Amino acid sequence: MIGLVILLAVVAAAILAPILYPTSPWRMVQRPFMPPFTLDRFPLGTDALGRDIAAGLMHGAGVSLLVGLVSTLAALVIGVPLGALAGYFGGRVDDALMRFTELFQTVPSFALAIVLVAILQPSLSSLILAIALVSWPPVTRLVRGEVLSLRSREYVQAAVVTGQTTFTILRREILPNTLSPIVVLASLMVATAILLESSLSFLGLGDPNRMSWGFMVGAGRTAIRQAWWISTFPGVVILLTVLALNLIGEGLNDALNPRLSRGDR
Amino acid sequence: MLKRTLIGSVFSLGLIGAALVQPVLAQTPGGVANAVIQPEPPGLMMGMIQNGPTQMVAGNIYEGLLRYDEKLSPLPGLAESWEMSPDGKTYTFKLVGNASWHDGKPFTAADVLFSVDFLKQVHARARGNLAKVASVTAPDPRTVVFTLSEPFGPFLGIFEVGSLPMVPKHVYEGTDYKTNPANNTPIGTGPFMFKEWKKGSFIRLVKNPNYHVAGKPHLDEIYWHVIPDAAARAVAFETGKVDILPGGSVENFDVPRLSKAKGACMTTKGWEFFGPLSWLWLNNRQGPTANKAFRQAVMYALDRDFAKDVVWNGLGKVAAGPSSSSTRYYNPKLAKYSHDPAKAKALLKEAGYKGETVRLLPLPYGETWQRWAEAVKQNLEDVGIKVELVATDVPGWNQKTSEWDYDIAFTYLYQYGDPALGVARNYVSSQIAKGSPFNNVEGYANPAVDKDFAEGAVAVGDAKRQEIYDRVQKTLIDDVPIAWLLELEFPTITRCKVKNLVTTAIGVNDGFRDAWIER
Amino acid sequence: MLGFIAGRVGKGIVVLLAIVVLNFFLIRLAPGDPALVMAGEAGAGDEVFVAQLREKFGLDQPLPNQLALYVRNIAVLDLGYSVRQQMPVATLIADRLPATLLLTGSAFLISLALGVTLGALAARRAGRPADTAITGLALLFYATPLFWVSLMAIIVFSVRLEWLPSFGFETVGAGHAGLARAADIAHHLILPAMTLGLFFMAVYVRMTRASMLEVAGQDFVKTARAKGLGDRVIQRRHVLRNALLPVVTLAGLQAGTLVGGAILTETVFAWPGIGRLMYEALLQRDYNLLLGVFVVSSAMVLVFNLVTDVLYRVVDPRIEAAR
Repeated sequence: MIGLVILLAVVAAAILAPILYPTSPWRMVQRPFMPPFTLDRFPLGTDALGRDIAAGLMHGAGVSLLVGLVSTLAALVIGVPLGALAGYFGGRVDDALMRFTELFQTVPSFALAIVLVAILQPSLSSLILAIALVSWPPVTRLVRGEVLSLRSREYVQAAVVTGQTTFTILRREILPNTLSPIVVLASLMVATAILLESSLSFLGLGDPNRMSWGFMVGAGRTAIRQAWWISTFPGVVILLTVLALNLIGEGLNDALNPRLSRGDR
Repeated sequence: MLKRTLIGSVFSLGLIGAALVQPVLAQTPGGVANAVIQPEPPGLMMGMIQNGPTQMVAGNIYEGLLRYDEKLSPLPGLAESWEMSPDGKTYTFKLVGNASWHDGKPFTAADVLFSVDFLKQVHARARGNLAKVASVTAPDPRTVVFTLSEPFGPFLGIFEVGSLPMVPKHVYEGTDYKTNPANNTPIGTGPFMFKEWKKGSFIRLVKNPNYHVAGKPHLDEIYWHVIPDAAARAVAFETGKVDILPGGSVENFDVPRLSKAKGACMTTKGWEFFGPLSWLWLNNRQGPTANKAFRQAVMYALDRDFAKDVVWNGLGKVAAGPSSSSTRYYNPKLAKYSHDPAKAKALLKEAGYKGETVRLLPLPYGETWQRWAEAVKQNLEDVGIKVELVATDVPGWNQKTSEWDYDIAFTYLYQYGDPALGVARNYVSSQIAKGSPFNNVEGYANPAVDKDFAEGAVAVGDAKRQEIYDRVQKTLIDDVPIAWLLELEFPTITRCKVKNLVTTAIGVNDGFRDAWIER
Repeated sequence: MLGFIAGRVGKGIVVLLAIVVLNFFLIRLAPGDPALVMAGEAGAGDEVFVAQLREKFGLDQPLPNQLALYVRNIAVLDLGYSVRQQMPVATLIADRLPATLLLTGSAFLISLALGVTLGALAARRAGRPADTAITGLALLFYATPLFWVSLMAIIVFSVRLEWLPSFGFETVGAGHAGLARAADIAHHLILPAMTLGLFFMAVYVRMTRASMLEVAGQDFVKTARAKGLGDRVIQRRHVLRNALLPVVTLAGLQAGTLVGGAILTETVFAWPGIGRLMYEALLQRDYNLLLGVFVVSSAMVLVFNLVTDVLYRVVDPRIEAAR
């Protein structure tokens, strides 16, 4: 519940940003390093160049959500079909696909993400691609497991007997039943993606044309000793959002997966 | 009478002597210097590796024939005296007699001859500097004679340790220089000897007991600590783990706090020889930047005082033009551009700029440069230029600039004290060549400028050279081949108890031979 | 068991080889090359200089030849030579590997020990304030960016309280030996290992808790309870042991992430490990070194996975019975 409220607030910030702060968040509007609560117009203070931190947070909401959502979607697009194929066909196909998945799970994922961003050169799309490419293996494993267990169910066998194509069976009979764990996993992946983006930005691999939260933390960290607010506010916002997404994930899990529900309820 | 005078002079001599001796006595020998090095150098063989950190550490191990004071006048190094023939074509160096390599072999004129040959093969800048040298000879083991094909005004300025380090002949002769195992255990003549390098942690140098300057060095050991994160470097200084932060090792935002910390001292000296000047390369070949009016508009659009005061925390100086103020024949009266957005807009109209997006390439050297690029982007957008920042890392930056794949790109370069050494290379058309980010990357070609720089290098006499360089600077400032930003200052922050660290025009890079720690 | 291990090692080698080939090409897709980087750092350079460097790096050879040479060398465990550092890659990595093993190893133990303990505790108090507090705390550590926690920890524990050193592996030049040196290293290890460990702790807390709740609801636990066994015995012998299975699996899968996370930690704390080495090698386009670190860290993950798999078999009574 709290999770949902926070997430809605973030979404609202992303939508309202262009209305409340119509000028670019990159504009230098006040003296640099102005502490928060000094001026009503700039409640969260300004950064090293005198840019409004509140404006940055609002505009950053959209960028961070975009990175989180799109990269998770992309990871699902890669991970779900691979997992479904591996689980459905088994045998050699399964073996080959699992080796391929292992390949990506063996390479330290953050290292791979760094290399990918370095190759593609930092931009919003390369960040999204890199994050997606390192976060799909868990999806594949999950889907494979689910499909594996559904594969032998009677209604699936019945569909096979009636001569439906593999694609139809997967799409109509099997995948809809794997949806709930995927949704739970996806909500956590969005959170991880936001964290990953901020870590990459910290290393200077963010998109310099987009004001994201990760960028703000990364840019403010060198000044952390004289201006705590520059990196603290975006840090707190990242924390809250990730927290919210996790709470939502847990909530979904409880609702969709009563077996694992909390406590003695 | 005689007696009184004698007593008087003895008395005054005594006073003078006391005054002279006082600081010498206070120079307590011994102690360990803890300094920061950033980034970790790839190696310490200074003849073959010339990157900044290598020069900073290896400046203690190797030496050049000369050193330079902050006015760039030569001081004795491995040469104790030198003279130039009246026609400016023959230079004779007398070497110190008691210098030896760290392995005990004596340093002689044969080593100088070998070093010149060695550096011509592996040291790009030395190759250029020595281009006018017709022959080098050694009439005796302590004398070296350079004969030039034509006079070269800045010749006495090329002997500093980073530009022409002396390398040991007996170690390198007849070997494959690149794979010589001695590259990992560098041997020089300098005040400190290489001892240990724990990669990723520290480099340790120890005192050279046989150093050729009597009584030096004072320190027993130097530790260079490798700390990759800028914030962590600042903390290391604050918590007393290191006492020396060479220029550029902390972010500018940290400079005021650290330099005001208890017991901390700061100096911006020690960079006169380099005269680091920053600018924006404007691609003269294509796009809006090919238009002179557009380039002038960029100059007027830039708020360079803001950059100096905010991005660089007040350090540095707004550049007047192509020459840095510590470089010879600098003329501040030629400055022309100020922050004037209205004028910039008018010039844009004149240039017929239609809102094309311009790619701006920041210098990937940390947060300061990133902030600066963001500020410049705002400056340009304020006058109506559409800008897209291109993010890249160091190799990407090198590739994009040396392949001319940019519209506007940040950079800064050293000037080495003389326009013929460090300025001309950025503007003459013979220096337009792909594959290097240290030449005429902007692609500016002007026969008048080519001619002036060629004449300036070989002209004899300061007055003559001043006249030529004034003329060429004026032309350049009007043409704006590149947009000059700031003369950079890289403050060296130390604990105040570290004395005499920065004494010459290359500062920390000249080694710690005079440094001592008060206890 | 031996056959199982041999099979896994074989598969691991195939995966490793694929990683080599994949990364070999990936790295070369990046703009720029080591010669340009070194020319750039030299602050001077001309075509001769860059061409010399390229030759030195072997970059003038056709790409397939370079790959063939590399794979051939890898087969005899030769990771090649870093021309930039003028040293064999194996030496460079061997210098740094102990630091990374120490850091990731301690972080792993911290995260697992704290995670399982707290997770079990939360499961027992499910739905009560203690549960909420533990899961909340774990989430908090999970949701805070790792580098931010690290910086804050430095400010609090090194700058303000002056309890712990902020950077490095040991006190340089202190000349400690034996136990004194070990204590010195441990002192330096606390901050990086804790920040890295607390992040991963969250994962184990959640997994242990969920897993224990699930197991507690299963029939054999109900049977045990019906038999009149004490609650403590049931929790320890039946619930925890079975609940640990998915935790062990997860630990194996986390290995790659742990090594990756070490990059940030090592950068912030100037910890001389291979994570940092990898990042620096990337920025310098030191191809051989970068590939070498990838190979070694991937091998580390594979070994770790193997160990957890073996462990799984030891812990899980069912698999044992089936064999």
